Amino acid sequence: MIIESNIPATYREARLIADGQVFKQLIKAALAWLQRHQVAINALNVYPVPDGDTGTNMVLTMQSAWAEIQDSPERNVGRIARQMAHGALMGARGNSGVILSQIWRGFARSLDEKEVYRAKDLAAACQEGVATAYRGVVKPVEGTILTVARAVADEAARVAGETEDLVYILERMVLAAREAVKMTPTLLPVLAQAGVVDAGGQGLAIILEGMLRYMHGEPVTQDLELTGAVDLVTTGLAPGEAGYGYDVQFLIAGQGLDVDAIRERIAAMGECPLVVGEPTLVKVHVHVLDPGIPISYGASLGSLREVVVEDMQAQYRDFIAGREGPAVVQPPPSPPREPGIVAVVMGDGLAHVFQSLGAGAIVYGGQTMNPSTQELLEAIESLPSRQVIVLPNNGNVILAAQQASALSSKRVAVVPSRSIPQGIAALLALNAQADLDMNVAVMSEAIKQVRTGEITTATRSVTINGVTVSSGELIGLCDDELKVSGASVEEVARKLLREMDASQKEIITLYYGEGVSDEEARALAELIAQEWPDQEVEVVAGGQPHYPYILSVE
Amino acid sequence: MPEKKSSLGRIEVSLAAIASIAQQAVLSCYGVVGTSDKSLASGIVGALSKEHKRGIDVHIKDGQIFIDVYVIIEYGTRIVAVAQSVMNVVKFSVERALGVPVAEVNVHVEGLRVSSVD
Repeated sequence: MIIESNIPATYREARLIADGQVFKQLIKAALAWLQRHQVAINALNVYPVPDGDTGTNMVLTMQSAWAEIQDSPERNVGRIARQMAHGALMGARGNSGVILSQIWRGFARSLDEKEVYRAKDLAAACQEGVATAYRGVVKPVEGTILTVARAVADEAARVAGETEDLVYILERMVLAAREAVKMTPTLLPVLAQAGVVDAGGQGLAIILEGMLRYMHGEPVTQDLELTGAVDLVTTGLAPGEAGYGYDVQFLIAGQGLDVDAIRERIAAMGECPLVVGEPTLVKVHVHVLDPGIPISYGASLGSLREVVVEDMQAQYRDFIAGREGPAVVQPPPSPPREPGIVAVVMGDGLAHVFQSLGAGAIVYGGQTMNPSTQELLEAIESLPSRQVIVLPNNGNVILAAQQASALSSKRVAVVPSRSIPQGIAALLALNAQADLDMNVAVMSEAIKQVRTGEITTATRSVTINGVTVSSGELIGLCDDELKVSGASVEEVARKLLREMDASQKEIITLYYGEGVSDEEARALAELIAQEWPDQEVEVVAGGQPHYPYILSVE
Repeated sequence: MPEKKSSLGRIEVSLAAIASIAQQAVLSCYGVVGTSDKSLASGIVGALSKEHKRGIDVHIKDGQIFIDVYVIIEYGTRIVAVAQSVMNVVKFSVERALGVPVAEVNVHVEGLRVSSVD
């Protein structure tokens, strides 16, 4: 019996039917969300072979399913489901892929030739999908994707008896899937031994989650998330607490604006949408959890005017405080941000960057980036979260972080970031809706994509890696290894970026430290942008001591 | 039969034992709904051996293990994917149990089972 949930209970209209085109969008969203988590799911594999890479296999299966329907205008949901199932069958890979294709096969068969599906149809289709899947094996093993699928189908059947709202049913299905995935280690000892949940089951939960995100108007693709996060660094806005969100209003001034199309898009993003206007000026108003989404969308259509973003939770609190009379229903208490993040940094600018990205506690590493286990432990305990991820951001700190995590009574994981840029990449990869293990896997993958460069002064004369350096000279390190030296910052920076293969990457970021002025940093950025015109160059005030510049390429 | 020499003596594993391991592995694969004790290729002689009744044939050649698996697969699944899974699982299970490499796992799909609903 699932009681708690972190799915916000916001008011919205019930959705009673779904047709072929809605189903098509659900599959698209499921695929996109699954692709985002492909690597993390692969990381859950217990056996070196048997299923191989579950994440990849499930993505390939879903891609084949999607390919079959992506150009289809079919509105009949039974028919498009059958086409999709056929695609899944043709492209099925690995155990999980085959089982998934069987689930879709049964699901589609149940829908038959129906134009649309309602609550009861959905529940029946889920049951049929599970039944078909179970038929394909002699000795079904519990604690796998089969178990999760069955839990989901059972929940769908139960809830379909209580409500007609398809979105609510899907929400309950997602919760049931997550619970079932959490239980898999108790059913399959080998999972418990490896300390993971079942990969196939997790994949199925992700598929359902992707569909739910689409229904809630939340983004599922990689680029959309990243854009939002980069905005966060410059504007300092953080996503609102689950439950109320932000009241967003703005005007879009442009040419040939399609008011109806804008209204449709905005309506999918949140609650209480209001879009009025004419082709040259449109007024938009909507309640969302992440204000970046409607604002970025509006900015892509024209120029924005009179942008107003208000925290509705604050508005509600003020309203409650000013009101007399009978008690009003209290808003649900916002849950502590799970998992909480502890980041080790040096410099106020960097501390600010990490905080704006969601770090709950900052530990200052000092000149030598060497905080004590005690300091780390205090930071962990200071957070209200029950689960915590620590970002050491330096090779020296990893051990202390691990010791602190062992001492804490909370559930703590250390993502082994070796530099500030790695820590930032890891933080950007954080997904508030995923559990701790999934986040650790995703964040650990993210740090592999980042190469870190540091420019500093040599404290002694030495020859390493064929590079000779005299004390006091400027040196460039790439991923902690001495690679280049030079007389000027510009020279070292350019040599270092060449070493780091900057031309193969997309974004170059400069974090400038103590003793470097904003003008100097921007001048250097200009120089870099000239030599690497295809890459985006960003400048951030890090304020770090010791290293005039930290560079990252990703 | 594969042998391992230890300082105390020899460890011999019979073909039947290997076939047992393989059979357990095969039946645990998704999509396999049975093993077939009929092999069209080997005729009457093959049908008399006990291992063959299980739907598994094991040969040793030049100290390497070759396994032939005869299976019935559920209609409606992607046969190639199921067969590949069988190959991987059998190879993995036998190698893990014996510590001896498996050179080949050949999957023979003897039939498809159509469930009553289709």
